[in-house]
Amino acid sequence: MFSVRVADARAFRDILSAISTLVDEGTFYITEEGIRLRAMDPSRVAMVDFAMNKSAFDEYVSSGELKMCIDIGELLKLLRRAGRESVELFLDEETGQLKVTIRGKYTRTFSMPTLEASEEEVPTPRITFNVKATLTTDGLHQALEDVSLVSEHVRIEAEGDRIVMNAKGELMGVNIELDKGSDALISLEVKEPSRATFSLSYLSEIVKAAASTSDVVTMEFSTDMPIRLDFKQQYDGKLIYYLAPRIEVE
Amino acid sequence: MGVDLKDIVPKEEVRLKDLSGKSIAIDAYNALYQFLAIIRQPDGTPLKDHTGRVTSHLSGLFYRTCNLLEMGIKVIYVFDGVPPALKEAEIKRRARIKEEALKKYEAALKEGRIEEARMYAQMTSRLKDYMADDAKRLLTLMGVPWVQAPSEGEAQAAYLVKRGDSDYCASQDYDSLLFGAPRLLRNVTISGRRKLPRKKVYVEVVPEVVELDRVLRELGITHEQLVDIGILIGTDFNPEGVKGIGPKKALRLIKEYGSLEKALPTLKNATFPVEPSKIREIFLHPEVTDNYTIKWKDPDVEGVVNFLCGERDFSESRVRKALEKTIKGSREARERTTLEAWF
Repeated sequence: MFSVRVADARAFRDILSAISTLVDEGTFYITEEGIRLRAMDPSRVAMVDFAMNKSAFDEYVSSGELKMCIDIGELLKLLRRAGRESVELFLDEETGQLKVTIRGKYTRTFSMPTLEASEEEVPTPRITFNVKATLTTDGLHQALEDVSLVSEHVRIEAEGDRIVMNAKGELMGVNIELDKGSDALISLEVKEPSRATFSLSYLSEIVKAAASTSDVVTMEFSTDMPIRLDFKQQYDGKLIYYLAPRIEVE
Repeated sequence: MGVDLKDIVPKEEVRLKDLSGKSIAIDAYNALYQFLAIIRQPDGTPLKDHTGRVTSHLSGLFYRTCNLLEMGIKVIYVFDGVPPALKEAEIKRRARIKEEALKKYEAALKEGRIEEARMYAQMTSRLKDYMADDAKRLLTLMGVPWVQAPSEGEAQAAYLVKRGDSDYCASQDYDSLLFGAPRLLRNVTISGRRKLPRKKVYVEVVPEVVELDRVLRELGITHEQLVDIGILIGTDFNPEGVKGIGPKKALRLIKEYGSLEKALPTLKNATFPVEPSKIREIFLHPEVTDNYTIKWKDPDVEGVVNFLCGERDFSESRVRKALEKTIKGSREARERTTLEAWF
């Protein structure tokens, strides 16, 4: 048995939208405490670790534990029709159909199939982080937008009280400095000066999508290790991403 | 030909670009044969250089390999060695089909039935020794490793995957599964739109992965039993199989009786060109070698250009452009890591 309601579809839609930057078909674990999902993109370069606890919903009913795999893009299409209206999800375990009811000026109930749930348990990457920075999500987003004008990759470095992002394209280059205490960089702890390079096609997409769910992000990284981005959520839950680095060869 | 397990094995579609960073061992003859069959002019004449040498196989091999390398897929080719003596029946059968097709091709061409001519021409495709030599020469110049199998290429490719030297083996045939390949990729060397023979219908051919573990688990059988099912349906060593037995019936029989030996007495008219136990032996203990090295290098651009453009009349600007994209793409892919390295 699984049935939930959110009074305003927007926040839920934005979260799913953030997940869908990496995952097309998502397997959600549903327990009495809430729902969670942890999945990698098909290339296994990035991971999303998401949870939304019972109290984040306006109504939440679940008995026992179950897995539900859905085409997130399809569900998003339905939620986009909902605007600020209320949405109810009901899983009919007998038919395997997910019923999506949108109540507003009028009431409509869509049904969509659930898919074969993934068997794969995605582990947490084991990384010792030497840099921990708290940024405004918008500040990070803007900095990455700047970088994307010149290159497809960004190198992020932390030393002392400063984070530096730089990139070199075929013709142009850019250097961005974020100082501790500035509007963008709220706090910074550097155990060891570190630097790592990431693909902007992933990083920008993640930050752009997550920006609509969160104002503050905690970014952790170490030299040539995956980066961890923890987007603080307004609701009781989490939205965390890991992204593998690019490593220069030869 | 190969064993036809299509109807009973579970498979999963993949996008080639998601295989970036993975290595795949391609059955070279299987791929070359496809290039030779498909890359032809509308009336069925293969591509040729100014001296009349066929170049369809080189064209297919070059551009397809470039594509895969550009996506960051690490390609290995495995070439057949001497076929097992037991394969004689199949080899003769193929020769017979080709002779008949050749006659029909000539007749169709004479009467101006171009489409039919093309179809028969495809069936006459013969892989000559010089084509394999051409392919090896081109691969070496491209910096792509290739392995010479002592016997069956698919058995050697399966062995590479078992040893962890390759992530997948790639072939159109399901025989790799009988040879014990843990992961088989289909529709790698040909993909996109493909025309159905005799019909004006195109189908979308999508790469797919077949995992041996999953096949055995979902069918509820052992690897030995899968081989027995293959023998009932028909393999390269007994192309006719047992009359009236397709994949589903074969599966039911083997599950019911446990093995080929126990199922056979219940079947009338089951005849084999060779002892079925010998066929099984080839699949379970094929002749393979440890004598290979797998190492990828950047392509020797001038070498490739000299060979393909200087000797075989390929367009130099196209070849150079393809190589340039290949080098850029594979370098890009080498720099990328996946999260799996930190699990």
